[in-house]
Amino acid sequence: MKISDYIEQSFANLWRKKLRTFLTTFGVVIGIGALVSMISFGKGVQKNITDQFKEMELFNYISVSASSSSRGNHHDPDEQPSAEDEYLAPQSIGVSEPNILDDTFIRKVTQLKGVESAFPEVRFPAMIRFKGKEEFTFIQVLPAYICQSELMKLRAGESYTSDDANSIIISDSMLRRMRIKNHQDVIGQEVELSTLTLNFNFLNLANIASLTVGRSDPNSRSVNKLPFASKKYTFTIVGVAERMGFGGAIPLRSDVYIPPGPSQRMEKLSLTSIWDFFQSPGRIKGYSSVSVRVSSAKYIEPVKKQIQSWGFKTFVLLDQLEEMKKAFIIMDMFLFAVGMIAIVVASLGIINTMVMSILERYKEIGIAKAVGASDRDVKKIFFFESGMIGFLGGVFGLILGWVVSMIINLIVNSIASRQGVPYVNYFSFPWGLCLGAVVFSIFVSLAAGIYPTMRAARVDPVVALRHD
Amino acid sequence: MNLNNFIETEDLTKLYSTGRIEVVALKDVTLSVRRGEFLGVTGPSGSGKSTLMNLLGGLDTPSAGCIRVDGKYISDLNKEELAIYRRCQVGMIFQSFNLISSYTALENVAFPLLFAGVAKKERKIQAEQVLTKVGLGNRKGHLSTELSGGEQQRVAVARALINQPKILLADEPTGNLDSKTSRAIVQMLSDLNKNQGLTVIMISHEESLLAEFADKVIGLCDGRVV
Repeated sequence: MKISDYIEQSFANLWRKKLRTFLTTFGVVIGIGALVSMISFGKGVQKNITDQFKEMELFNYISVSASSSSRGNHHDPDEQPSAEDEYLAPQSIGVSEPNILDDTFIRKVTQLKGVESAFPEVRFPAMIRFKGKEEFTFIQVLPAYICQSELMKLRAGESYTSDDANSIIISDSMLRRMRIKNHQDVIGQEVELSTLTLNFNFLNLANIASLTVGRSDPNSRSVNKLPFASKKYTFTIVGVAERMGFGGAIPLRSDVYIPPGPSQRMEKLSLTSIWDFFQSPGRIKGYSSVSVRVSSAKYIEPVKKQIQSWGFKTFVLLDQLEEMKKAFIIMDMFLFAVGMIAIVVASLGIINTMVMSILERYKEIGIAKAVGASDRDVKKIFFFESGMIGFLGGVFGLILGWVVSMIINLIVNSIASRQGVPYVNYFSFPWGLCLGAVVFSIFVSLAAGIYPTMRAARVDPVVALRHD
Repeated sequence: MNLNNFIETEDLTKLYSTGRIEVVALKDVTLSVRRGEFLGVTGPSGSGKSTLMNLLGGLDTPSAGCIRVDGKYISDLNKEELAIYRRCQVGMIFQSFNLISSYTALENVAFPLLFAGVAKKERKIQAEQVLTKVGLGNRKGHLSTELSGGEQQRVAVARALINQPKILLADEPTGNLDSKTSRAIVQMLSDLNKNQGLTVIMISHEESLLAEFADKVIGLCDGRVV
């Protein structure tokens, strides 16, 4: 028999029992659809993270923070200098104790080979008021040159050009939360920022007494009768930025950006957590972290080692990539296992259908053998039938998985957009997944067809020809 | 064994085991058929006629003894070789026609060509020719269930002839037919035997038909030639 004959014969046999074939194939469609949706979700998350990191060249960043435990130089005097050390040697610079992430550090780190820029990550809490609406947020202080780089994705307006400008860049997600749709309309308009400051005058006897009886001085700017006060500042919106979909140790992770000049003039509490508050007394003045950008990923390791040798902690996304890959594999395996449940159920359906088909076509198998079909021919006919169920199930399952994924994506994004989260494609359908789904479906169906096929081949023609 | 004989069996024995009981279907059957001969086989029910037919047709294997067809010992063939033997050397006709009910007359006739690797277009041409030869050219598109008993048996004859076999084995081909149709079918087999030199072995209860058309008639009783 020719391959085309097997295909035609199998298709004709399946077509004879349309409803049963449809129901069995539908089981496979659901199984493959579920599997494809699960895996495409895993792939989508991975793709979003890695693509966004690559696009923003985040693998070229080292996030530096002050270390409380590992101060001082970590160079081992007995250690032989490596090629890396030789690279570092001419530019190694000592940092005076205690190590502070200040402008001196920034100047020194920018002198290292391969370092393009370094800028402090200064964030502080504030209340933003615009067009009668208020939102609590963290303001990020960003130098003008970073603002003008490719890191900043603007949807409207432009970046501020001076570190001293009284300008502000606001994210599209913040505007969305404020129910403002037209980005262009906000450019040039004024926005008010209210910062928090500590009000030590509050802690006098009169205030404590008023706090206990529930009255306060009407002239006081104290917030909620706590030792805080607020200060108001006005800025002009110059640009609307695109909010990044994922957070993490990345340079831009706020909804509002201002230049360093006005930031220095502002009275504010640079607290990003309650932990900062408790650590603040007696704390060394300096930035909480500094982002260092290198021109190429090859400079990451030597620059990182040099910074560590100065007693600072470093965080490099590239280092996390391997860990992320392991986590992705575990996630893929978990999603695959969940999807496989549906496949196993579908396989049982195929076995049942094929066994039923053999019982119904018992005499037909006998006739086929009487007119010259070999056991191998019979096996192949039933194998092709299983494979065809798998092929059709795979193709339509892929389509179902894609459609369901797109619907879920649409629903999730429409809900998330109301919370100000930018559009993210949570599902990814690489060619490998599409092809793999169909091949896997055929493979599973063929495996499910092994027992029925063997049973069909074993049919005794003498008995089958007497069968009614 | 005589090499001049086309089909020969020697001490052919077939035993069936059903649990502890062993049933002797055929016992030491020795017979010979010349090329182009019409052999009639008769005997009461359970005498082993169909068992002999299944063994000669390569559908079953003997428990003892041997079968030689055209110089080859088919009793020594494995399953794959037996399938080729059935495909190329033998055409079989059964009492219950054994047509596939969901197939048309043409598809039933063309069915054996599928396993011979003949192209689809060629299968159709050949099947049409053979159907015309048995007088059913105008019924090719009908399902087998839409045909009369005589027509169904003629379709079965056409199917048996499609691979141009050397031997035609007919297991009570007239068992489900009226006397007029029975005669027409046996006449057709006789014509094939006479005109095309086809070796025919036919089982029948109707001894008068065998006496009229067969060159030689053997009787079986309790699995032995009598």
